[in-house]
Amino acid sequence: MTDKRDPPATSAEPLPPCVVACPAHTDVRGYVRAIARGDFEEAYRIAREPNPLPYICGKVCAHPCETKCRRNDVDEPVAICALKRVATELHDPRKGHAPGLSVGEPKEEKVAIIGAGPGGLTAAHDLARMGYKVTVFDSYPQLGGTLQYGIPLYRLPRETVETEIAPLRELGIEFVTNKRITDVDALLKDGFRAAFLAVGSQLGRKLRIPNADLPDVWVNMEFLRKVALGEKLDLAGRHVLVLGGGNVAIDVARTALRLGAKQVDMTCLESCTTQPAHAWEIAEALDEGVQMFHDRTFKEIVAENGKVKGVRCVTVSFRGFLPTGAPDMDEFPETEHVLPCDLVIFATGQGPDLSFLPQDGSVAQTRRRTIEVNPVTLATTKPGVFAGGDAVTGVGFIIDAIAAGHRAARSIDAFLRGLDPASVQPSEPEELGDLKEKTISHIRRLAREEMPKADVEERKASFAEVDLGYTRVQAMRAAQRCLTCGAGAKVDTDKCIACLTCVRICPYEVPILVRGTAEVVVDQCQACGLCATECPAKAISMTFDNDDDMTKDIRAAVRKAKGNGEPAIVGFACLYCAYGGNDPNVIKAKLPKNVRTVDVLCSGKVDELYLLKAFELGADGVFVAGCLEGVCHNEKGNVHAAQRVAYVKKLLDEIGLGGARLEMFNLSPQSCADMNATVATLTAKVKELGPSPVRRS
Amino acid sequence: MIKAKQKPIAEIQQLIAPYNNVLVLGCGTCVTISFAGGEKEVAMLASSLRIASAMAGKQHTFTEATVQRQCEWEFIDAIANQIKRADAVLSLACGVGVQALAERYPDKVILPGVNTTFLGMAVEHGVLVERCRACGDCVLGLTAGICPIARCAKNLLNGPCGGSQSGKCEVNPETDCAWQLIYDRLGRLGQLDRLDAIMPPKDWSKDYDGGPRKIVREDLKL
Repeated sequence: MTDKRDPPATSAEPLPPCVVACPAHTDVRGYVRAIARGDFEEAYRIAREPNPLPYICGKVCAHPCETKCRRNDVDEPVAICALKRVATELHDPRKGHAPGLSVGEPKEEKVAIIGAGPGGLTAAHDLARMGYKVTVFDSYPQLGGTLQYGIPLYRLPRETVETEIAPLRELGIEFVTNKRITDVDALLKDGFRAAFLAVGSQLGRKLRIPNADLPDVWVNMEFLRKVALGEKLDLAGRHVLVLGGGNVAIDVARTALRLGAKQVDMTCLESCTTQPAHAWEIAEALDEGVQMFHDRTFKEIVAENGKVKGVRCVTVSFRGFLPTGAPDMDEFPETEHVLPCDLVIFATGQGPDLSFLPQDGSVAQTRRRTIEVNPVTLATTKPGVFAGGDAVTGVGFIIDAIAAGHRAARSIDAFLRGLDPASVQPSEPEELGDLKEKTISHIRRLAREEMPKADVEERKASFAEVDLGYTRVQAMRAAQRCLTCGAGAKVDTDKCIACLTCVRICPYEVPILVRGTAEVVVDQCQACGLCATECPAKAISMTFDNDDDMTKDIRAAVRKAKGNGEPAIVGFACLYCAYGGNDPNVIKAKLPKNVRTVDVLCSGKVDELYLLKAFELGADGVFVAGCLEGVCHNEKGNVHAAQRVAYVKKLLDEIGLGGARLEMFNLSPQSCADMNATVATLTAKVKELGPSPVRRS
Repeated sequence: MIKAKQKPIAEIQQLIAPYNNVLVLGCGTCVTISFAGGEKEVAMLASSLRIASAMAGKQHTFTEATVQRQCEWEFIDAIANQIKRADAVLSLACGVGVQALAERYPDKVILPGVNTTFLGMAVEHGVLVERCRACGDCVLGLTAGICPIARCAKNLLNGPCGGSQSGKCEVNPETDCAWQLIYDRLGRLGQLDRLDAIMPPKDWSKDYDGGPRKIVREDLKL
C-alpha cells in the first residue's frame, strides 16, 4: 500500500558502549538514568542485578564503562563508578541485598568453588540462587581473595567486603576457610559434581637480576597480603623503590607510604604516557608524594654487606612486550645510573599458584602458566571442572572475574543438566556507533563532578578511605551528564508521514528520511524528546518517559495535589534546573501539599497534551518550570516548552477555563533556591480565579 | 498539499452541542502536515472539549481515531464500527474527507472541525502559504514558475497592476506582488521578452466556474 520501509528485522537494539564494555553487561545507562531522576533505590536494583558485589565495584571497579563512555568525545566521561557507589550507599539494607532476585528450587547436586575471590563468589552466588548446594574453599582465613588480601584498605574498607559476603552466607553457601585444596580429583570423588577453579593470581614474581634474593627485596602480592593480614610492618625512615608501573605497583607504593616510609619512588619500563596504571591512580599517588621514574630497565640490585643501596637502571625506549613475554626496547648507551633506596618491592607482575592442580596434567595449563579453558564455556580439559578469572586470563579486573563467575555458573548448570554449556552462553551484544562531530557540536559541555577526597596529608598517615563519595545532589548532577545513548526516540514507520517536523526541530540534527519515513538515528539521538512532542502524527515515542508513563505521573500528581483545601497545582519541573541545584526531594518537601511536581529531564519533553491532561483531571493550576533561555540542556527545549504553554493558554481562554491558570517559569539552575516563592504567585492567581469548574465524576 | 486550519473551539462547540457521543476523527495526511487534524491535534481537541464539557457539568463522551486518509473508501470503511457507535463524527480532515464520510455513512451526522484553506506549502516550520488554486489550466510555464492566479489578489494574467508597491501587493503589504516576482525571475532567466506577448483570457470553465470537475481515466477504471 505504501513505499515505506519495513521495520527492522531484528528486535535486538544496539547497546551503549558502557554496557557493552562492562564484562558483566551491567545496565549502566539504566542506573545512571535512575540516579539522574533521583531514584536511588531503582539505581541500586539495576546495578545489583548482574553483580553480586555492587558495593565493592562502586569503590574499586576499574570501570571500563567510563573508558568507553561516549561523553569522552564531548568532554569527560560520566562518573559511572562513583554513581554506582552512591547507589549502594543510599540503598536501604532492609530492602535486601538483591531486591527482586529469586532463589530457585533446591537441587541435590553439590558444586565446589576453589577460591573466594570475586569470580568464585559470583559463581557461588549464581549457583546458590539456582538451588545448588555450593561450598567455597579458600586457603586464607578471610573471604574475598584479592578483595581481602590485594586491594589496600584506603581503597576498599573491609566492612564493605563483609557487606557483600553476609548476604552470600544467607543464601546458604558453605564457606570453608583456611583450606587449601590440593586434590581436585578427591573433591569430585567426594560428592561434588562440578568444580570451579577461581584461584586468582596471588603469586608475585621477582625479576631474575642480581641480589633479588636479599631480605630487603620484597614482592608485591606478599607485601600487600601481609599488610592485610595485620602483620606489623614498620617502614619508618625507609626509602622504598617500587619496580613496576601498573595499578598493583601503585597500591604497593601508596601502602608503603602509609606504613611510614620516608620516601617512596616508583620506576618502570613505560613512559609517563604509556604507564599501564590508570591515570587517576597515578594522579593520586603523585598527590601523596610518590615520585615516578619512567623509561628504565633494571639491571641489578646494588647492595653493600647485604644491605640494599639502590637499583642499577638503564634508560630505555620501551615499545611493549613481545609474544614471548620479553620486553621490546632499545637501551640508550651510557645511561646507566643507580636509583637509591634501601628497600625494593617488585611489582612487575603476578600469576596464579597452580601447584594444586592434578600432577597428571588432566587439567591442562597454557604456556603462560595459566589454566587452559574453552573461552566460551570456561571448561577445563577435565570434565566437570571449570576455571575462570585471573587464573585463566592473567591479571584482569574484578568485574572481569565477576563476568567469568557468571559464565562458569551458567556452564556448570548446563553441565549438571546434561546440556551443552556452549548453548547457554548469551551472544555478545551489538554496540552503538560513535557520535558524529555534528552531534557532538550541539551537546552541552558539562564539567564532571569531582569526587570528594580525604585531605592528602591526613590520608598519607592512615589507611582511611581516600574517596569520600558523592552526596545525593552531586550524584544527580553527575548522572544528568549521561547522554542516554541508544535510548532515545523511536519512529513508528506505519504512522510516520514524512512531514519533516522532526528533521527540522531536532537540536542535534539527528533525524533523517529513509525511503519515505523519518528515522531518528539511534547512534546519535540525545533523547531530548522534542521530536516526539512535536510530531503531529504521534509517530515518535520515547524509550523512557513515554506518554503512558507521563500520564500515570500526571494522574498521581493531580490526585495528591487535590483535597488540601488550597488550589491543586501541578508542575512539570525540569530536573536540570527547576530545583536550583538542590535535592529535588528537599525542595518538594518544602512545597505546600497542594503543589505537586512531575519531574522531566528537560521541559522540552512537556507535551501540550500533558498540560491539558492535568486540567482535564481537575488541576486548578499548572506550571512548567524550565531553564533560563540560552542555558537549556538541549539548546531550545525550554523555548519550545514556552511556545506550547502560550498555545495552551490560548486554548484555555477559548474554552473559558482561563489561560491564567497556566504559567511557564524560566529558572536558573543556580539561583532558584526557592521554587516555593515562584509557585506562590501562580497559586495566588488561581485562588482569585477560583476552583477549576472541571468536575470529574 | 491541502492546507487547513482548525476552526475556533467556540464554533466547534456549537456544532457538536446536540450530540452526547462524538468521535473526533483525524486524517493522517495533508491536515496532519498542516498541524490541523492529525493524531496529535485530535488528542488536543478532544482533551479541550472534554474540559469544556466537564466545566459545563455535562457528560459528553469524546472518542478519538485517526485514519491514514479520510478521502479513501477503504480507510474510512475500516473504522465503520467506531463511526456507528458515535452520535456524530467531528472530522478534522479537509472538506474532501468530510464529504467522503457523509457519502459513505448516509445516516450519520458528519461535522467539519477544520476550515480547508488552500493548496500550499510550509515555507518555514509553522508558516504555511498558498501556492496553487487548482484552476485546471496551468500557466506556470509562461510565468517563470510563479502562479499569478494563486498569488495575485486579482488573478491577473497580464500584470502587474497599479497597486504593486515596491514589490508588495496593495491588498496586503506583507504579500509579495506575484507579477513583480514573475518579472524578476523572467529577467534572471533572460526571458523578459515573454512579457511582450499579451496572455489571452483564460478558460475559466476548467476552474470552479465550470461546475464540479471530474477526471476520468478510462484506462484505469476497474
